[in-house]
Amino acid sequence: MELVLDTVRKTFGGVVAVDDVSAVMPQDRVTALIGPNGAGKTTLFNAITGFDPPDRGSISFGDQRIDGLPPWRVAELGLIRTFQTPVGFTTLTVRESLLAAATPHFAETPLGALGLSRKARDHERASGDRAEEISAELGMADLLDVRTDELSAGDRKLLEFARSLMAEPKMLLLDEPAAAVAPANIGRLSQLVRRLCDERGLGSLIIDHNLSFLMQIADEVHVLDRGALLASGPPAEIAANPDVMRVYLGEDGAKDSEA
Amino acid sequence: MTNPIFWVGVLTLAAIYASLAMALNVESGWGGMWDLGIAGLLAAGSYCYVILTADPDLGMRFAPGLSMWVAWPLSALFTGLVAFAIGAPALRLRREYFLITTLAFAEIIRQLVVIQADLTRGTLGVPNINRPFDSFVTGRDYNYVLLGIAVAAAAVMYLVTRQIGISPFGRTLRAARDNEAVALALGKRVNRMRIKTFVLAGVLIGATAPVYLFYIRAVSPQLFAPGITFTVWTALVIGGLGSIRGGLAGAFVLIVFTEAVGLIEVDPSHINILVAIEPFMVGLLLVLVLRFRPDGLFSERSAFGAGNRPAGRSAGDSRPAGAAQGSGG
Amino acid sequence: MQNVVFGIVTGSILAVATLGFALVRQTENFLNIAHAQMMALGAFVGVVLVDTYGMNIFLAGAITVVGLGALGVVLSAVFFQPVRHQGGTVLLFTSIGLALMMYAAILALFGTQARFYPDVSGGLHRFAGIGIATNELVIIGLAFGSIAALQIFLNSTGLGRAIRAVASNDDLARVRGVPVRTVSNTIWFISSAFGAMAGVMLGVLGAVNTEIGWHNILIVLAAAVLGGLRSITGVILAGLLLGIMMDVSALFIPTAYRPVVAFGVLVAVLILRPEGILSVQRRKDAVVA
Repeated sequence: MELVLDTVRKTFGGVVAVDDVSAVMPQDRVTALIGPNGAGKTTLFNAITGFDPPDRGSISFGDQRIDGLPPWRVAELGLIRTFQTPVGFTTLTVRESLLAAATPHFAETPLGALGLSRKARDHERASGDRAEEISAELGMADLLDVRTDELSAGDRKLLEFARSLMAEPKMLLLDEPAAAVAPANIGRLSQLVRRLCDERGLGSLIIDHNLSFLMQIADEVHVLDRGALLASGPPAEIAANPDVMRVYLGEDGAKDSEA
Repeated sequence: MTNPIFWVGVLTLAAIYASLAMALNVESGWGGMWDLGIAGLLAAGSYCYVILTADPDLGMRFAPGLSMWVAWPLSALFTGLVAFAIGAPALRLRREYFLITTLAFAEIIRQLVVIQADLTRGTLGVPNINRPFDSFVTGRDYNYVLLGIAVAAAAVMYLVTRQIGISPFGRTLRAARDNEAVALALGKRVNRMRIKTFVLAGVLIGATAPVYLFYIRAVSPQLFAPGITFTVWTALVIGGLGSIRGGLAGAFVLIVFTEAVGLIEVDPSHINILVAIEPFMVGLLLVLVLRFRPDGLFSERSAFGAGNRPAGRSAGDSRPAGAAQGSGG
Repeated sequence: MQNVVFGIVTGSILAVATLGFALVRQTENFLNIAHAQMMALGAFVGVVLVDTYGMNIFLAGAITVVGLGALGVVLSAVFFQPVRHQGGTVLLFTSIGLALMMYAAILALFGTQARFYPDVSGGLHRFAGIGIATNELVIIGLAFGSIAALQIFLNSTGLGRAIRAVASNDDLARVRGVPVRTVSNTIWFISSAFGAMAGVMLGVLGAVNTEIGWHNILIVLAAAVLGGLRSITGVILAGLLLGIMMDVSALFIPTAYRPVVAFGVLVAVLILRPEGILSVQRRKDAVVA
């Protein structure tokens, strides 16, 4: 199964933010999406996940057209995204946030709330175990009962990632998952992303400015520049591509070190 | 004037407001839907009950004269339907627009009650509403029966809303209230869930309406002016919006306090002051609580077991969530 | 046509009231529910000055408007300034609390009996079969006169431009060194004065009772939303339109439905054309949260 973009275009009041981008991203691989600020990476994410549908072109996941679907429907199909600014469920604790992500629809009705369904109770218990597991893997087990708005920016970022894992994804869309994360935790993060892909076939599409992080874990890299696809290929090939170097070093050379 | 019957009445009224405030908390505290149309829903439930049970001799156009035990659940269901009719379109709007729309719908309902006089007796109102068990217990003793009914209703309301609050459903409601975009990105059917919640609140308010009528004894459209909505909101804000016990505690504090101040001896020539005491106390308490204890007596934090901020790693560089609000794309 | 004239009179008063409301909404960023109680207070203070103290209606009106404008400044300092940092929600609910307290004050001071201004209609004029009383002409004139004066003030004085700067972008105005405190006081004075003026006008045309505030808050909200909450011209047009619609609807459906028409229009506009009300920025905020 793969995520397929076909001549996707998005404009904002005459400015072309995404310019006829076509790409194929396998569901079981790690794909990186890089490019300088304003290249249209997040706009592309919003187009894929239904938050800001494209003006033109088609997007499909497996054999399902997803452009034009509402965000919750895209998520139900297994495409789970994170957000660049990790605000999250501000007043919920880490544990509550993770459990909320895992709650199935059948438990989310007023009658379901009365707790009569054994199935819902079993699901809740299993989710609780999984929440502890995932938070331990990301080194945030001691934060389970802390409210989201009291986490550091880096921990909120990790929570974004952990939360998306709880939602039974088929493919992750991670918007700058390593930004503001402590260096020690970036290591855990990249190991986990890689392991999820290799062991469970759960691939990701990742935007980040931290190129060394991306180049380590990505199977394939796409470079966006001013809305258009500049280059695609394996990390080594992209690193050697003179056009890519020019875009990065020429205009935005400092970006690499920012994260 | 320390007549026990007076205080029985006060506690009855407090229990009724507590029920309404707890129902409001489900939609507004946890659901984040700022409903200023409580009066309208209460009117819908009350008039449904009154019409279904009214004495056919009163000359209302439709008076099936049903038993109150049949009419009670029907009123709850009918109010749920009304809530759906309001919520389905209004929930497309956010925040203050939703709030204005619900307020407007409530006024429309009240005006319709006035206008449809052949069905509702309009501004004449309907007197002598049937009350449960009033053939067994009469006179002053009935006030204790009424207190029992109101307290039982509040207890049921507490158990139901508490269960909703601590359930996965309540958790997802609060999550979607905090951050709709993230909830959508996790596949939550936010709008559908909110409509269900709004309807649920309607059913709960509709179920409380007959108890209110037992206490008031006679119904007329004036009862459902926006004032009652504001009183319920004040009770909830005092108790703590989003907490579990807040509506209960806030209503008792507000009503007992207001009624106690009303006991102050006032010269009959200053009767106006007596009339003014209730809105004044409600307004003053609302202003004071918002200023000095905006989380209310019980905060949402204390209700949902968020531990205290740890001394360890996250304390140093944490910042309030508001500061992080910004574009995620 | 006669009803259109009534509608213009109603609409002018509504425009004055709504303008005061919208000014606070734009600059202080919350819906001030207490605004309509200021209208009720205006109607009562005016009637007491005229009826009890035998004052000339214009003098009474002027004293009411200036006095309640000043009261508005005091109330904003006591009630709204201390909770300003807590945001629009707390401010909105504080304004509900204030509205209840003002309502209580009106009940306590003036009682529940309806009161009436002495007949100041000043005779009926007829133009092509349409009648209009002198006081109605004066009300229309005063309404538009004050709106025009406000426009001139906002456009051609330093303070007025500062207010507009605050209305369009609070932070920017602060950075540029606009005297925020003075601006805020001026806004509250104008808003309350306009509310009081609308109250006196309503009182002159009808009965003065304690429920004026609650009856009018929704109509003011409706006009403000209809006008888009942001543009002054929009608010004026919306006030007029709503006034005319309410009075003209009386020709086709029973007059009892008059308020229902206003709220029906409000609900319809909100639901059918939310994109006309929510600015582009607002919708973007809703999407990306």
